[in-house]
Amino acid sequence: MARQKMKYKNKRKLNGFLYTLPWIIGFIMFFAVPIVNTIIWSFSNVGVKETGGMELSPNGVMNYISLFTEQVTTDKQTFLQLFTDENVNLFINAPIIIIFSLFLAILANMNFKGRGFVRVIFFLPIVLGLDVITEMITVTTGGDLVAMRGTGIFSQGMAARLLIQYTSLDLDIILTVTSFVDNIFDLMSQAGVQVLIYLAGLQSISPSLYEVAKIEGATTYETFWKVTLPMIGNISVFVIVYTIVDIFLSSPIAEEVYAFAFQKSKIGVASALSVVYMLNVLLILLLVLFISRKAVKS
Amino acid sequence: MAKKYKPKKAKEDTPQMLKRKAKKLVIGIFLGALISGLCFTMLYPIFKLFPNVFSELTELGNPDVIWIPIERSLLSFKAAYRFIMTKGAMTMVYSLLYAVAIVFVQAFVSAMTGYALARIDFPGAKIIFMLVLFAFLVPPQALLLSQYIHFKNFDILGIISLLTGDTIDLINKPVTLFLLALLGFGVNQSLFVFIFRQFFKNTPKELEEAALIDGCGFHKTYFNIMLPNAKPAIATVAVLGFVWNYGDTYYTGYFHPDGPYLGSILTTTFQPANEYFITTAMREWYNLPATTSFVFDAVKQAGALIYMIPLLIVYFIAQKWLVENIENAGIVG
Repeated sequence: MARQKMKYKNKRKLNGFLYTLPWIIGFIMFFAVPIVNTIIWSFSNVGVKETGGMELSPNGVMNYISLFTEQVTTDKQTFLQLFTDENVNLFINAPIIIIFSLFLAILANMNFKGRGFVRVIFFLPIVLGLDVITEMITVTTGGDLVAMRGTGIFSQGMAARLLIQYTSLDLDIILTVTSFVDNIFDLMSQAGVQVLIYLAGLQSISPSLYEVAKIEGATTYETFWKVTLPMIGNISVFVIVYTIVDIFLSSPIAEEVYAFAFQKSKIGVASALSVVYMLNVLLILLLVLFISRKAVKS
Repeated sequence: MAKKYKPKKAKEDTPQMLKRKAKKLVIGIFLGALISGLCFTMLYPIFKLFPNVFSELTELGNPDVIWIPIERSLLSFKAAYRFIMTKGAMTMVYSLLYAVAIVFVQAFVSAMTGYALARIDFPGAKIIFMLVLFAFLVPPQALLLSQYIHFKNFDILGIISLLTGDTIDLINKPVTLFLLALLGFGVNQSLFVFIFRQFFKNTPKELEEAALIDGCGFHKTYFNIMLPNAKPAIATVAVLGFVWNYGDTYYTGYFHPDGPYLGSILTTTFQPANEYFITTAMREWYNLPATTSFVFDAVKQAGALIYMIPLLIVYFIAQKWLVENIENAGIVG
């Protein structure tokens, strides 16, 4: 009997391995090998042979040096600048997107008439945020791109002028607020999946927790900080990781990799760029995961 | 004499209650304004398309028009249809079929992998799960070049070149895209594996044990019991996967550039460099006196709208159970 059980267990393990086998093969073929190749190329001088194959000759870190000293992007930026911009952009935008998507999810989770309709619109960015569509609906004529996305309306509008004239707020603060409101479409278009995940998270919180909070006499404000936030802590980590990966995916760096490899045929430099890019993403993710783990523990 | 029963009159509103009511009203108005404002912002770009795409082409650029075009016509749509539907309506059918087929493959493979990673404690399962997460984090662009060359000279451990004497060129063949999906590396597929893994991690063990007692083997348990029970996860992956695959220009554009994928066709046809070609063609086809870049934009946007129709339809059908399902899909747990 025991032997049979052993046999069954081993068979189960074997089957489990079999089920993951396609993925493992895929991982080796489409992930591990490419990544090793990219790293090797980034340390080599890559030429194309006349027969069509590739010619490699090691040249140390020359590609990396060249990337940060000689090469420029298609917009004539240096790469140091590009990476700095991208990281600054990430640290400003990621928190805004995350908080904003939580905010939208809370709104969509409230009980009001027409809630279904509002939800439809709030998730619409999953469709509208596709690169193809944002690219296609923007206008090429005379800088209308701004007007198209509803940006710039607020800062030129009444409300902003009223704020400046009749409140004693600092101009910088007003400008920050208006620029945030101006970019609200961009924000929303990057928040579709996050809103969906947060909404699901909010709905999975047991209503009895809220009842208890109500009986104990907690205010809405307290309920939010003491019940809602801790309960969605775990999915927040997932949302944060998703947001960071998503922002990097749509960054201009990704396009530069393509431009260097296929248009300028500088494969070595393109690979070096990929490696730096990859390290950059991983570093930030590790940092964020480290901080969030600390935050969850405390 | 018994006192006549007097129906209790509704309590007069005390000042406190009035205050609470007023507060509720103010908050309600505030939230209503906020929500409708946000909805408007979201829909604004689409609303803003209408005056362009429904306008008579010669009327475009008229500064008097803000929301409703003065002279209406559907010419932009006709032209866009002619530009992007290179094989007539079949182009769209083909794109949709492709998206559905590839999502099917993606979901099938991801579900199997996710199930094994969640429920079976075979050696290396934990490491593989870490690798799935890693694969999700590394951007596909970083791997593009090497993958491209890999497909250009496709070979499996030297077997193919041993048999045929040469490697095969898989670029520009639809099989490449299916191969990627079949082996777990299609569009955002690591995320799908992750979703399935989380889901199966949360399904009760008793389900499997009951199946076992009933004499189901491993495969039968999976296909007859576990998979049908994974409907929420399947639905979530199906909707997201459909939208992402239909909207994908990255994989289709690089690995099958000549394929009839509407997304790729749309981006290549209406790239900024083609403006002259499009405007000239419009003049020739429809006898327009002069064509400006307004015409280019109008046709481009009409194309985008045509492209979006199936997406919106699927989305509207799916959104009702998307939330319920993603909740049950266990990403949250």
